Amino acid sequence: MKKVQFKSNYSQYFFLAPQLLILLIFLYWPIIQTFKDAFTMQDAFGFGSQFAGFDNFLFIFSDPSYFTAFKFTIIYSLVITLITGSIGLLLAVQANKVIHGKNVYKTLLIWPYAIAPAVVGVMANYFFSERYGLLYHLFNNLWGFNWYKDVFDAYIYVIIAGSWKQISANFIFFLAGLQAIQKTVIEASIIDCKSNIRRFWTITFPLLMPTTFFLIIINITYAFFDTFGIIDTTTIGAPGSETKTLVYKAYIDGFKGLDLGSAGAQSIMMMIIVLFITIFQFRYIEGKIHYN
Amino acid sequence: MKKLISIFVLLVSFAFTSNSYSKTEIHWWYGNSGFLGDVIIEIANRFNDSQDEYMVIPTGKGSYEDNMAATIAAFRAGDQPHYSQVYDAGAAIMVAQVKNGVVIGFEEMAEKYGIDVDADNYIPGIKNFYADGDGKMIGVPFNSSTCLMYANMDILNEVGIEEVPKTYEEFEGMAQKILDAGYIPLLQSHSPWIWTENFFSRHNLLMTDGNNGYDDVPTRTLFADTEAFVYHWTKVKEWYEKGYYGYKGRAWGDNQAPFTNGEAAFWFGSAASFGGMKGVLPNFTTNPIPYWDSVTGGKEYPTFIGGAANWILNGHTEEEYKGLAKFIEFMGSPEMDLYYHNMTGYAAVTKGGIELAEKINFYRASPYHKAVGEQLGLEGSTIPGGYRAGNWPQIREVIYENVEPMLNGDITVEKALSNMDKGAAKLLKQFAKTL
Repeated sequence: MKKVQFKSNYSQYFFLAPQLLILLIFLYWPIIQTFKDAFTMQDAFGFGSQFAGFDNFLFIFSDPSYFTAFKFTIIYSLVITLITGSIGLLLAVQANKVIHGKNVYKTLLIWPYAIAPAVVGVMANYFFSERYGLLYHLFNNLWGFNWYKDVFDAYIYVIIAGSWKQISANFIFFLAGLQAIQKTVIEASIIDCKSNIRRFWTITFPLLMPTTFFLIIINITYAFFDTFGIIDTTTIGAPGSETKTLVYKAYIDGFKGLDLGSAGAQSIMMMIIVLFITIFQFRYIEGKIHYN
Repeated sequence: MKKLISIFVLLVSFAFTSNSYSKTEIHWWYGNSGFLGDVIIEIANRFNDSQDEYMVIPTGKGSYEDNMAATIAAFRAGDQPHYSQVYDAGAAIMVAQVKNGVVIGFEEMAEKYGIDVDADNYIPGIKNFYADGDGKMIGVPFNSSTCLMYANMDILNEVGIEEVPKTYEEFEGMAQKILDAGYIPLLQSHSPWIWTENFFSRHNLLMTDGNNGYDDVPTRTLFADTEAFVYHWTKVKEWYEKGYYGYKGRAWGDNQAPFTNGEAAFWFGSAASFGGMKGVLPNFTTNPIPYWDSVTGGKEYPTFIGGAANWILNGHTEEEYKGLAKFIEFMGSPEMDLYYHNMTGYAAVTKGGIELAEKINFYRASPYHKAVGEQLGLEGSTIPGGYRAGNWPQIREVIYENVEPMLNGDITVEKALSNMDKGAAKLLKQFAKTL
């Protein structure tokens, strides 16, 4: 194949410039600013700014509610990943089998994906309101459910609110993954093995691994960062600070508490955590996946 | 040629029309929504109609916290409004910003641009809350409320209680009766504001060291060290367990809703809450918040001012400040003050407004409005009329975080209060470093 040759040495920069500019303004600049905030002590208006070393980090590490938020975020992202992944997969496998009205099922199952997290939170609010919530009263009759008193109940509340919409995302990707599996492979396996379930776990599921891996990363990122709107419209972190995610805590301290130093330090900690999770996933999980 | 003339005529007429519409714009940002936001827009409209040199443009930014964050972000970007509404918990931050040239104090503004409203025309308690250490008023008092006790008189009549309780002892005595009749005796909507900050003011007790921050930058709160405060929360917890006090989570509205629906006998909320209740709940009264007779020995003390003030921000032209001065004058007039008091339930903030109210027998026509002025106007306090403690929005968060596990019995009252002290001390220390 013939290589395309450009005469000018600069035209490539010209074409790259818009993209680079966007990255610079919306990505690198805020990151640099966050680092600056994390290592300085300043008042809300940006005055009295002075280098603080690791003071802001020491400050958050001496805060018990930071560890509560850390614990909750880990539990929350694991549970959400598990629930949304497994239900999404189940629905996708079933929808893939449907012959009549396939598109109706698909469309209906994809719909919730289009709803903003904050709106999901407001809807969950109706279900879990003590005054008129259907689920609140159902659970309350079963075991005395009360999310603003009991930590476990609060978990249930935010997990249901957080999972619902993300199931749709998992559903779409699993369905696409299932449809990408070659018919010949499936047909060949039918000849070799009669059991539906066994065929699924030995042939279909391994072939879905790239999708699964992708979804695990997407789900964890979702639970980490995108559930902000859900927490803000449901429990606001109650009871105590038990249902605050790390992002939500950084928001409360930075925007409501106007303490940019602490919020900056928390953002950097979050960056480090996500970095570690990603490295872990790529090193230890990805090795076990076969791409075609 | 004809074309040219018509273009010329058009241009000239444009020049004139734009001239007659080029009023000086003054931006006012606020943190109220719903009905209270509508009243703010109405005030601006009235001012705009009253003269044709200036135009006040009000912009709602969401909640108090949202508006404060938006104002700060705008200032840092060099795009701040002229006038912004900042709430009580942010007062310490705003007063501290005068020296950085962010905020222009009211008195400096009045001197420079001749505002015909003297700082002394504002009610002393309210004036002092928004004043600096030398007593100079910085913020311009606007929506000043305090916490009040709302009572559902139908429930009280049904149970056979004739008078609303003045003290917590009296409340305790009647709570069982109310509970037996199937009602929630007591609800309240804001643990940090009503049962922490205003517990201290109502009982004439200091909340932080450094004389509530008026003498020195405070380093710690006195929650666990104040015997009466420990006693109060021990009682609250006991009431909660007995069902005398019903906790409905952190949201203001969730705690108010059962009262508004006639399921609770008493509710502690803001003086400005009555607007939403009038016409919904048939027979209710507004009363001063109770106090512990055993703590004050029968004496009553005023509570802190709640709500917000408007703050003048630096960085605009002289012409615009002249307009703002006119607007401040307009809002400080007795008529506007009384209008706002009447519409919202917030206290009248000027002496002129109160005099006018007396003159037209306003309180006989609307007794709801009386309690707020009475409670704020009480005398005999030896503590300052407010607190100057930085990072207070976060300290409120710390209070919330510890109230819930305390009520649930996960931690003891003493432990919860000392947790609050510890959390607050750290935040106060953090704030002191930025001064």
